[in-house]
This record gives sequence, C-alpha cells and structure tokens, in this order.
Amino acid sequence: MRSRCLAVAAALVALVPACGVIRGDDERGGGVRAPGVTAEPCPFAVDKKKGCIYLGTVSDLTSGPFAALAVPITDAQKAFWARVNKAGGIGGTYEVDVTTYVRDNKYNPEVHRQVYNEMKDRVLALAQTLGSPTTAAILGDLKAGSVVAAPASWTSAWEFEDVIVESGSNYCVEAMNSVDYAVEAHKPRSVMAVHLAGDYGADAAAGAKIAARRNGLTFTDVETPSGATEQGRAITEITKRRPDLVILTTGPADAATIVGQAAAAGFRGRFIGTGPTWNPALLKSPAAPALKALYEQSSPGRPWNADTPGHRAMREALPGVTPNDGYTSGWAWAYPMKAALEAMVAGGDVSRKGLLAAVRKLRTVDYEGMLPPEAGNYADDPDTAIFRQTVVNRVDDKAPTGVTIVKDFYVGPTARAYTFDGPCFAKL
Amino acid sequence: MKGLLETVIRGLGNGSVYALLALGFVIIYKATRVISFAQPALMLAGGVAVSHLAEVTGFYAAVPLAGLLVAGVALGVERAAIRPMVGRPAFVVAIITLGVDVVVRVVVNAFIGRDVRQVGDPWGFARVELGPLVVQQRWLAMLAVTAALVAVLFAFFRHTRHGLAMRAAAHDQEAALAQGISVGAVFALSWAIAGFLAAVAGAFAGTGQGIEQSSWVIALKALPAIIVGGLDSLGGAVAGGLVVGVVESLFQSYQGEYAPWLGQNFAVVSPYVVMLVVLLVRPYGLFGTREVERV
Repeated sequence: MRSRCLAVAAALVALVPACGVIRGDDERGGGVRAPGVTAEPCPFAVDKKKGCIYLGTVSDLTSGPFAALAVPITDAQKAFWARVNKAGGIGGTYEVDVTTYVRDNKYNPEVHRQVYNEMKDRVLALAQTLGSPTTAAILGDLKAGSVVAAPASWTSAWEFEDVIVESGSNYCVEAMNSVDYAVEAHKPRSVMAVHLAGDYGADAAAGAKIAARRNGLTFTDVETPSGATEQGRAITEITKRRPDLVILTTGPADAATIVGQAAAAGFRGRFIGTGPTWNPALLKSPAAPALKALYEQSSPGRPWNADTPGHRAMREALPGVTPNDGYTSGWAWAYPMKAALEAMVAGGDVSRKGLLAAVRKLRTVDYEGMLPPEAGNYADDPDTAIFRQTVVNRVDDKAPTGVTIVKDFYVGPTARAYTFDGPCFAKL
Repeated sequence: MKGLLETVIRGLGNGSVYALLALGFVIIYKATRVISFAQPALMLAGGVAVSHLAEVTGFYAAVPLAGLLVAGVALGVERAAIRPMVGRPAFVVAIITLGVDVVVRVVVNAFIGRDVRQVGDPWGFARVELGPLVVQQRWLAMLAVTAALVAVLFAFFRHTRHGLAMRAAAHDQEAALAQGISVGAVFALSWAIAGFLAAVAGAFAGTGQGIEQSSWVIALKALPAIIVGGLDSLGGAVAGGLVVGVVESLFQSYQGEYAPWLGQNFAVVSPYVVMLVVLLVRPYGLFGTREVERV
C-alpha cells in the first residue's frame, strides 16, 4: 500500500513540470530577441509578418474580493490590444499578445509571486498586476529585472517606483479631493475614514486625514476587516460617533453592509466611497435605498458611458458586455504601456531596459480623452508628476454602471498644495 | 443599557447561525467521531441555492427547498466519499472532508459568479421596536427559526425511532449494530441533517448582506462554538454558537471604548480567545463529556 501511495505521489510530482507544457508555457524556439519578444508572429496574429511582444497579466480572476472588477479589467485589456494589433501593431513591426500569459492571483501575494515567477522569463512586461499588496510582493523582482508593469490599483506607492506605469490619481489624492468636495457640497464638521488595512484602505484614509486637518475638521480613523459579517464594529463606530462624512475604502459587499445598516440605525451623514468600493450590483442589495440617499462615489476617471473617443472605442470593442467600470479602468490603464512600447520600438532598443528608458521619457500620454494627457507623466519627479484630478459620481440606477458624474475632473485645494514625499499610507 | 441589550440581540441573531452550523458539526461527530470540515461548503451551497430558488418560489419556500437539496448533496457526499472510509482513522476521514469542502465550493462558486448574490429575504435591514429596544428584524427571524429547528431536532432525537437509533449508535456502535440498527443509515442521516442545518444557516447568513464566494468563512466561527460547547453535546453546540455570537458582538461594540489597547478589530479573534479560555478551564467544553482513559 505504502509503495502504491509513493508511486502515485511520484507520478503527481512528475506531472507538475509537465503542466507548463500543457498550458503552452513551453520555451519558444528561435527568433527570441529579448525576454517576451519574438520575431515569430503572435499566436493569434493579425499580420503574420510581424514579430510578437508578450505581456503578462496577473489578476484576481476567480475567488478574490476584487474578481468582479478584475475580470472586466482583463477582458478590456485583451480588447484594447486586439484593437492596437488591428490598427497596425507597435511601430509597424510587432503585435502584442496579452492572452498567453494570464494567471489568477486569488488576491494572495504569495500566489501572485508564484505565478509571476512562472511567467517572468517569457514576458517583456506586465500589462496588468492587480492589487497593491500583491504587486508589492513582486516589486523587488520587477525593479531588479527592469520589468515595467501597469498596475491595477491606485496606491500612492506607485508614484515612487520607476517600473510602475500607473494611470489616474492615487487613493490618497482621491480621498483628499473627496473631503474637499464634501466641504463645498455638504459642509461637514467631522470626517471618519472607514477602511481596510494596507496600502489600499490606509492610503485613502491618510488622504482623508490630511484633507480633514487642512479643512479644520475632526478626524477619526476606523480600520475594518474584509467581510460583510465583520462590519459590526465599523457600523457601531459610525452610529456612535455620527461623523458628518465617512470616506469608505472597502470591498463592495462591506460597503453595502456598512451603509445599509448605518442608515437603518438612523445615521444621516454622507458617505463617499473610493473607486474599488463600488459595484453596480449593490443596487440590487437591500442597501440600495440607503446608497441612493447617502452615498457618492469618487473615482480616478469618468464612468463607462462618458463621451470621449477612448470611451467610445472601448464600448465598440466590447459589444454586448454588461457595463462595468472595471472595463473602463482596464482600458485606460493600457494607454501608457502602448505609448512606452511605441517609443521603445522607435528608439531601436527592444528590450526590458529599452522599455524602461522609454517610460522614463514619457511626459504625456494620449488617453484618447479618457484621462488628461498629463496623467501619463513618468519623467518628472514624483511630486511634479503625480496626477491630482479625480471625479465624483452620484448613485444613479438608470446609468449603465449605476453612477453618473456630479463633479468632473477636479483638484481640491488640499491635493493641489500637498507635497508628496513618500507613500501616504505610511503617514496614517 | 439599551445599547447593551441591542448588542446582545445582534449577537444572538448572528450566534444562532453559528449554532445551526455547530449543530451540524456535532451531529456528524457524534455519529461518526469525525469532525466534518465540509460544513462551510454546505452552508455556501445552501445560501446560493436559496438565492436562485427565491427568484422562483420566494424566500420562505426557497429555504426548506434549499435545505432538502443540500441534504441530498450531503447524502451523496457521505455515500460516495465518507462511507467507503468507515473503519479508517478519524483523522484520515477528516482530511477527506476538507477535500470535499474544496470540491463542493468550487462547484458552488460557479453558481455565484463574481458579484454578491442576494437571497431575497423579506427583512433587508428593516428594524422593529421591542419596547425601548430597536433591533433588526432579521436577527429576530434567525433566532426564532433556530429555536424552532432546535426544538424539532431535540424532539426527533427523543421521540422518534430514527432519532433514538442515532443516539444509540452515538453511544455504542457495536451494541447498536447488535440491536439491529443500521449504523450506515445513521451515518447517512447525520450528514443529511447537518446539510439541512448548514443550508438554513447559509440562507440566514445571506440575509441583508447577500452571499459571495468568500462567505464560507462565516462557518469557521462554528469551530470555536463546538469547542466552547463541547464536541459531543447538542445543547453545547447551541450554547456555544450563541456565546460566540454574543461575545463577538460585545467586542465589536465596546472593545474600542473600554479596551482600545487591544488594537482595532479584536472582535475578529474574540471567539478564539473565548475558546482558549474554555479549553484551559474545561478541556471538554462547557457541556462536553469528560473522557476517562485507562493508561
């Protein structure tokens, strides 16, 4: 019996390396010009005469808390690069593949590192690395290998990393602008930040704290765990202290529980949720009336139905999908990578170092109107380059993604005056 | 005082969900001497089944239907994965239930999708006045349904043939076999009852906030509940579940005020602290049977 078990175990161990081949991870043959760059065409090439640039994607595709956003982000980026390839590719010599190396991180930093290690020798750069703590787990490796990566997160830490090509304002700026907007619109005297731990929630909370101090408002910080059933303390703190404004930086299910139960307990203050806190499915929850009455949604960009060339191109490239601003974010995040790849190919150094050098020279990026061009500044020092405009939306169940703009791209006095000398979350 | 009583009622509401789950753990343990780690998946399956069925039948009919459906799934799991392992060490079977949990959750996740699913309950976050107290209706509903199910369950074990057979098999399997009791049928019935209770727990865990892929973690709070109450005590499971719910709720409401030095969110670990304290004072739980072993 023992020997049979050993035999089965040995067979399973033998299967592990084979899995790579089953997935199609085999080393590509001749024509490799740099890691992730081949003279051979991409697997689904539009023009077989062009070479291929492989970009990796590590995202929360199944069971993590942001899967509802991550899958649309990933699908939008596949559509974005398919459009680029159809339009002639990069510099007329390469097409881009973002479908071969797509892996699930389950929003777990350890899994993130593991799947990145599996693909890192086969991709030139990362088209997407989702999550702040997950990306932090591979950051050292990215820097050591000069691997440029487009994040699917907005933590302020990315402003200080050369290899990360972020788009849109970070959570810290977003929360600063939300507080400044609320000071104009709702005249609060007290602010509470209810947030998840780490460089997502704490980044926004730090921004709210900085803005509250600047506006002379009292500030309370409430860290809450993830999970709808774990929000009892956050609800108690809100209903007991009754702040005029709550900056909410959680997952969508947590937000519905907090807003719904706080409102049911008689709380009538305002909530402003940070970007990933929203999901249109919340409008089907029992918290919907409370969300419509008390909740607004800040975001680093305009929603799905905005009228810009970039938004129109996205909608045309994604026919029939259920609108979700994961698509909008994913599409917008891809523009700086496209600009950097074009500059790299034009410069002649098609390599990781060549791509990083191209990124360091980008002062503007054409986002086709989705974001102002200056959102793509990676050349200047962080404090100069940081993009400080955000949007505030209200809940609108008639809008495709459940929100419509109430305040278009806007910089509040706090964000305008603040000097960024390090990640905000470290200052909470 | 008003706030304290409202906090306790919230704790009793959530605790009654933990109690239903804990009952399932204990019923399987008493019948088979195995802790089934498949309860979280069965709970999730119940919540998801209710979210789909409620669209057709409404919430009230969906809950018993989902209970029966998940009881059927549990029966199938017992027959296919557990029964062939009878006679093997309990540890081995417990590990198999871990595998069953993962497999069932993977299948159930496909029926959840990426968004939160609402179970279609009639209460939402609506509240009701009980004299000076204002409490959420769903907590009262959880408490009432759990009380009714516990009463039915205890009557079943005391007054029905199958219930007595389960008690006899739990007491001494060989003696029960000698009396003509089918121990296999007892195993199957224990899994079916545990599945039904887990499904009802899943439905009530989803009230107000919905069910998502990560909701299975709620069931883990039944583990400190069964240790607090005693692994082989049905009454202990109910008491343990309610104690865990109330302790957690009290920490959520008052720890920040009275013991801020414990840090934020100590409520998350409070059930496990209670479990450790009970283990130190009464290693067999508050109502568990003290085992005497000759050495």
